[in-house]
Formats: sequence, structure tokens, C-alpha cells
Amino acid sequence: MAQRKIAVKICVGTACFVQGGADLLLYEDFLEPSLLERCVIEGTGCLGGCKVQDAKSGAPFVEVDGNVHANVTVDRLRQLIKEAIDA
Amino acid sequence: MLERNNQYALMKRKIDTEVLKAFFAGTLEKRVDSLPIDIIPRDRDPNRCCVYKERAMVRYRIMALLGFDIEKDDDEYKPLADYVSEALHAEPKPLPTLTTIAVGCSGCPDEQYRITDSCRGCFARPCLANCPKDAIAFINGRAHIVEERCIKCGKCLEVCPFHAVIHVPVPCEASCPVGAVHKNADGFVEIDHDTCIDCGHCAQSCPFGAIVERSSLLHLANLLKEGREAVAMIAPAIEGQFPGSLAQIMAGIKALGFADVVEVAEGAHVTAEHEAEEVAARIAAEQGFMTTSCCPAYMNLVDKHVPALSGRRSGALSPMAYTAEMCRKRNPDAALVFIGPCLAKKVEAVRIEEIETVITFSELAVLLVARGIDIKEISPHELPDAALYADCREFAVSQGVAHAVQRRTNRPVQVMNIDGVDKKTVRLMRTWEKRPPEADLVEVMCCEGGCLSGPGVLVNPKIAMRLRQGTEVGKVGARPIGDKKRA
Repeated sequence: MAQRKIAVKICVGTACFVQGGADLLLYEDFLEPSLLERCVIEGTGCLGGCKVQDAKSGAPFVEVDGNVHANVTVDRLRQLIKEAIDA
Repeated sequence: MLERNNQYALMKRKIDTEVLKAFFAGTLEKRVDSLPIDIIPRDRDPNRCCVYKERAMVRYRIMALLGFDIEKDDDEYKPLADYVSEALHAEPKPLPTLTTIAVGCSGCPDEQYRITDSCRGCFARPCLANCPKDAIAFINGRAHIVEERCIKCGKCLEVCPFHAVIHVPVPCEASCPVGAVHKNADGFVEIDHDTCIDCGHCAQSCPFGAIVERSSLLHLANLLKEGREAVAMIAPAIEGQFPGSLAQIMAGIKALGFADVVEVAEGAHVTAEHEAEEVAARIAAEQGFMTTSCCPAYMNLVDKHVPALSGRRSGALSPMAYTAEMCRKRNPDAALVFIGPCLAKKVEAVRIEEIETVITFSELAVLLVARGIDIKEISPHELPDAALYADCREFAVSQGVAHAVQRRTNRPVQVMNIDGVDKKTVRLMRTWEKRPPEADLVEVMCCEGGCLSGPGVLVNPKIAMRLRQGTEVGKVGARPIGDKKRA
């Protein structure tokens, strides 16, 4: 059976892009091949996360399998993808 | 130099955004003194010793954003609200551009080479054999460096088979090409503004954020809020800094309230024409090499440290200066605002009467986010006919200026590139008087890679390059960076 691919959407709205989202776009450089082959990663327009005013949740936002996560760093993205693969 | 979007850079952008949001909401004076607490909540896991120190640093960061010189204007009794009203009512005094936050300085230990526990005390002892100053001593079967003798040449580090020798630099001192940053008697950072060339490398390299640039962002925000006519002059490096096309970036800037947006590449065309003419005349008269003159940090470098090169510089004005002239003719009353990647431009602009103020791309980003303008979604601005100066957009990239000059002359021009200026390049430039470089045109860019790596840019230059080549932003990372094939 073909493995299900995990859908990863990196927000490239301006707010996310300038708060570190741009660096997440270098995923080919920092994600291990074993993780890369398990997901389909793409940039996407504003996910709307920045419109919610909340001190804890800040840009950049990334959607993994339909769930939106805030304050995503390179490490956190790797972790989120691993969690999605294990789930 | 630090990675572009490190945690400090992101924090700085967050602080600036919060300040600007409050400003546009009309609540800045009321809220500004509690912003450090809002931004650094009690339960945050601090990157400094404690949240209280972090809050103190947020306060200083806000003061720099308001345009104050922290070295001179720091009054601990004065509420930030007072600073805000002062900033809004006084004429900005932007010099010197860089200022230091002594309490933020970690007081890094002096530069040193140190031998770590990985030393095996080997038989061959290449460190001992290669040390030119006899500064290696063996104690209890392990190598040690005798500080008084060590000249920090690094030979021992190169030859140790176990990589047991480490080099611990002082980042700000190491990054300064002219030795203008040093530690004072107390061991904390100090900038000698008389010798500083405003390249901003120190601010870019301090991992504690103890060196900051003073901003005129609030001045600009106020000008836009009051509805004064303003024209944005955008540096050629802007393409690739935001998630959209150049036309979208221009539309975004217009949406901020600017009456017009003009590409500085237009003025760069004039600069390139002048330089082409000059270099051709010099070749004909066999006068030897000429250097470019568009990098303001290089101009400061020559003025302050390598005066022998004064006559070697092209007499052309900078693209910013020519563009300002053009804009002044078209809009006699508008406030002209230069938006670029550079801190030295802030200093250059003080000498150019037409220019109201200078902000960086990072500061522009803060304005856009605070106003909720999304470059990716905005419908593109109509691009002007750029046939004449399209190639001058490459002024932002190392070799781009030289190429533009070459294209504008019919003589073969031999080019040499100085891609990034550090202590070594300055030493090299000092030898040019006696041993001139074998070139007709020397292109000098103080930042390695060109303006795309300037201290005021937002985006990793690798990503910026790809976006400039027309890669769609969502797919910009779809191939590893080392891969030569164009994405």
C-alpha cells in the first residue's frame, strides 16, 4: 500500500514571511530525506493565524495535515512532521 | 556574521511591529511603557539571564527605534512615553547611525586560542613544532597556550590532528573592517564613531543585540499618518525581499500611503553611464584603475582610512543621489524616502538635502505588517517602462555594477571585484598606491555578495536570489540550495 503523504503548508503571507517563514522555505536543506519523501510541502497564502490577537500565538504559521501551528521554527517543523508521520 | 533571521532579529522585528501597531492605533504613548511586559511575559523562557533583563533590553530597543542615541540619551528615570512625545515633536538627528547598549553587551572575553580537553598530548606535537612564538607548553602531558607569548596566528589550530584547538573571537571586533569597535576599560563594547564607516557589520554580528542602528521609522510613520506627500525610492535589492513580484512590492508600498514609488535603478543607470564614460577616458589616457563609488560604506572607508584612493574613485554620484534629483524635479514638494538594505545610506542621505529620511527593508516590513498589508495577495502596481535601466537592478548583486558599466561602454574593460570588505581587504587596498590592481575598474561592495546581504535586509540572500530569478515564492525551497539547476 502506498504511504499516505502528509500535507504541509507554509504560510508565505507577508507577516509570516518576515517573521522567519522565509527560512522555512529552505526545507530541502534542513529536512532529512526520510521525512521529505513522506510529505508534500508547499507555500500558501495567509492562513489567517495572524489575524487572531493572542500573545502566545505568533507568526510564522504552518499547517500540517489540516492543523495550523504557530511560532514554527525549523526544529519545530521537523518535530511536527515526525509527529504527523507517527500518528 | 550571524544567520539572517536569528532569534534576536525576529524579536527586534516583533518589538518594532508592536510599537508601530500601537502608533497607528493612536495608543502608543499610553501603551509604550507596558510594551516590554507585554512582549516579554513573566512565563517566557528567557534567552538572557532573566525576563527582567529582557524587558530592559526591549526598552532600549524601543528607544533606538524612536531614533534616540542610547549612548547619550539614556535616562533611566524617563518613561518611554516621554521619549515618544519627544521623538514626535523634535527634528530627527540621525547621526551617528549606530549606537551601543552597554548593559546588553555580554563583555565577551578577549579573542583567544584555547586548547581543549580533546588534546591527546601526542608524540608528534605539531602545535609545538609550528608555533612561531614558542607559546605552547606541555603541562601534565597536555598542550597549553602561554597567553603572554601567543600572537593569535592560529597555526596550532590548523595543524592539530584532533581539532583540539579552538578559536574564540569577539564577534563585533572580528567583524569590523577598520577596528572601530573595541571593548572599553570595563570590558564592554564601544564604537569609535570617528573611525567607524557605518557598514553595520558589527550590529549584524553581535549575538546579544548590544549594537543597534537608530531608526527613523517613527518619523516616517508620523509623516505618512499626517498625510504628507511622500515618495518612496526603492533600492535595487528590494526584489526578492518580500513574497511577491517587484510590481506587488511597489503596490504594497503605495498602499502605505506613498504618493509614488520610484526605482533607484533609474538613478543607477545614470551612475553607470558616468562611470562608463570615466573609465573609458581613463583607459584612453592610461591613468590606471578607477573604483566604483556607489557603496557608501566604501566611500567612508576611503575618506577615513585609505585617503590615497580618494582620486581613484569615480566622480559619479550614487544611484540614490541621482534618483533624488529626478524625484525632486517630478515632485517638488514631496518628502523623499529611501528604502534600502544599507545603514551607511542613512549617513550618506544626511548630506543630500533632498532626502527626508532612510529606512531599511526590515523597517519597511514592519510598516507593512503593522498596516496589515499582504504583498502576496495585493494586485500588482503598473511597472514603468524600465528598458533603459532594467539591468541596473543588478546593482544590488556583486559584479552587477561592473556589468552595467561594461555594457555602457564600447571599450573592453578589465574588471576586478571586491566582494565584501574585511580587515584583510582594507590591508590590500592600502597597497594599491604602490602596487595598483591589474584592472581598469574595481567594483567595491562592502557586504559580501552585494547589497543583498546588507545589514537591513530581511531574507536569506539565497532565497532572495531565487525570488529575483522569478521562482514562485511557494516553490522557492523546492530544490536544495547547492543545486545549480535553476528552480
